[in-house]
Amino acid sequence: MAVTPGNNFSGRLVKRLGEHSYLIDAATGEAILPSDLHQLIPSFGASLLSTGLKPGDRILIGCISSPSSSIAYLGAMYAGLVPVPVEESVLVASIADMLKGTGARAVWTEKSFRFDGIPKTGVLVLHGHPAERRADPLPSARCEKNALAALVATSGSTGIPRFVMVSHGNLTANTEAIIRSQYLSNDERAMLILPLSYCFGASVLHTHLYQGGGVVFDRRFMFPDKVLHAINKYECTTFAGVPTVYNILLRRSNIRSITMPSLRRFLQAGGPLAPQRVAEIRAAVPKPKFYVMYGQTEATARISCLQPEHLDEKLGSAGRPLDNLTVRIVDEDGKNLPAGQVGEIMVKGPSITLGYLNEPEESLRVFNHGWLRTGDLAHLDADGYIWIDGRKGTFLKMRGVRVSFAEVEAKVAAVPGVYECTAAAVTHPEVGEALALYIVPDKGAGDVIDQVRRSLPVYWTCESIQIVSEIPKTARGKVSRASLPVKAIGTYE
Amino acid sequence: MENVLARVQEVFHDAFGTDPQLISLETTPSDVPAWDSVGHLDLASRLERGFGISFDVDDLMGMENVREIVRIINSKL
Repeated sequence: MAVTPGNNFSGRLVKRLGEHSYLIDAATGEAILPSDLHQLIPSFGASLLSTGLKPGDRILIGCISSPSSSIAYLGAMYAGLVPVPVEESVLVASIADMLKGTGARAVWTEKSFRFDGIPKTGVLVLHGHPAERRADPLPSARCEKNALAALVATSGSTGIPRFVMVSHGNLTANTEAIIRSQYLSNDERAMLILPLSYCFGASVLHTHLYQGGGVVFDRRFMFPDKVLHAINKYECTTFAGVPTVYNILLRRSNIRSITMPSLRRFLQAGGPLAPQRVAEIRAAVPKPKFYVMYGQTEATARISCLQPEHLDEKLGSAGRPLDNLTVRIVDEDGKNLPAGQVGEIMVKGPSITLGYLNEPEESLRVFNHGWLRTGDLAHLDADGYIWIDGRKGTFLKMRGVRVSFAEVEAKVAAVPGVYECTAAAVTHPEVGEALALYIVPDKGAGDVIDQVRRSLPVYWTCESIQIVSEIPKTARGKVSRASLPVKAIGTYE
Repeated sequence: MENVLARVQEVFHDAFGTDPQLISLETTPSDVPAWDSVGHLDLASRLERGFGISFDVDDLMGMENVREIVRIINSKL
């Protein structure tokens, strides 16, 4: 049956798959052929509908960086379900919170897990490679442009993640704008080491498939040389990383000697990479173009891009807005500021998402009449380039991912023996920013430091934990991160 | 070898909070959730400090399990 493109993002993507649309798992060598991928996404979607799930139902997708997770995610979206991509390890550790936070009716993982804390009835637990869950493919589900396509987790103000509501129209608009900004052709192949649950990782998958290219997945970045050899072996054209990734490549890999002649571009986002490091990467691997980008989950993925031909001239800048976005810099009253003055970045356009799930007040505050308040502080130069100067003191960025101080503090305060806690960000050579925690223990509490360390998610890097007798506060009783003993960064309160 | 293993187990505890008893020569990164790319570098730095040695890039690439870590450390002591 002919598939009309319509608004369904996954439906459009499937229609655009081409002869280069392979999905390859570098660790196992598993390769999904373009002709199979064309069938697998719709047939996995159909198999979900055959279980009784209905369009609009939410489904948690346990993601590892792999072909099967990608097919499951795109298949669910194709069928009109709302996939919630979550790192598999996070999903297994916090399934109850995830179900509660999203209202999901089903959960899929490739391997079978024994989930604790799932209600006995009402939640469908599915597992298995999409190739084993086949049903006769159906056309992609028809939907409105602003229909919910996916829920993407981001750090919120409590220990429970918040979910950004991304529409089919958001995905289409951002994907097409990114493709234009990177001049992606239809024979590209990305090396993807970033998780699909992270908007930057997902955007690499989306853009390359949408443009008729393919993706190689590699989960072995702890041995970076393996990834570099895989780029060469599979003739990848795009490599995407956050600052942590480039710092590791420069300090702890043989990037200077492993040849990667197929590589056309490096993509870098997820926080600032020191200009010196950009220069070192370019010196080590001169041929590929180096793209610096800036973005947020709330804006689907990417907001701006620094074109390689302007990299030398504007090094340190986050580039110019994508061609379908408008950016302005405002003061605290929301008034536009002229070039050169620092204020909050506001963004408007078709990839600004629908808001936060089940958080109407916060959504109204952050998504104000179509303008996204990014929380990032920046100025524009006379040529319209964005220069990030910092951000409001509510987040830190570890491994390129925003984590709110409020979430950290809520998690630590829940550890038995902790009376009060505050968190600050300190610079860290690998992860960019790491946590420095200050803890006031309960009277008579034992060794809380060890307890706290164990309670933190594994992807949070904690540089130090200090026991203090009190937390410095401002006159209004707010925590004063600027008064903490360490030189905290990112605090513009 | 046992002595080095015991000290490596302590470093795993410091780096990842893992119970030293759970770390054996057969332990691989997939057994320890925090032993990822950043964890690997943290672990290596702690081992370097703890044993007063230094690893080169090829040592890091070779540390695919605890047995290899112990072997590489022994070769430098």
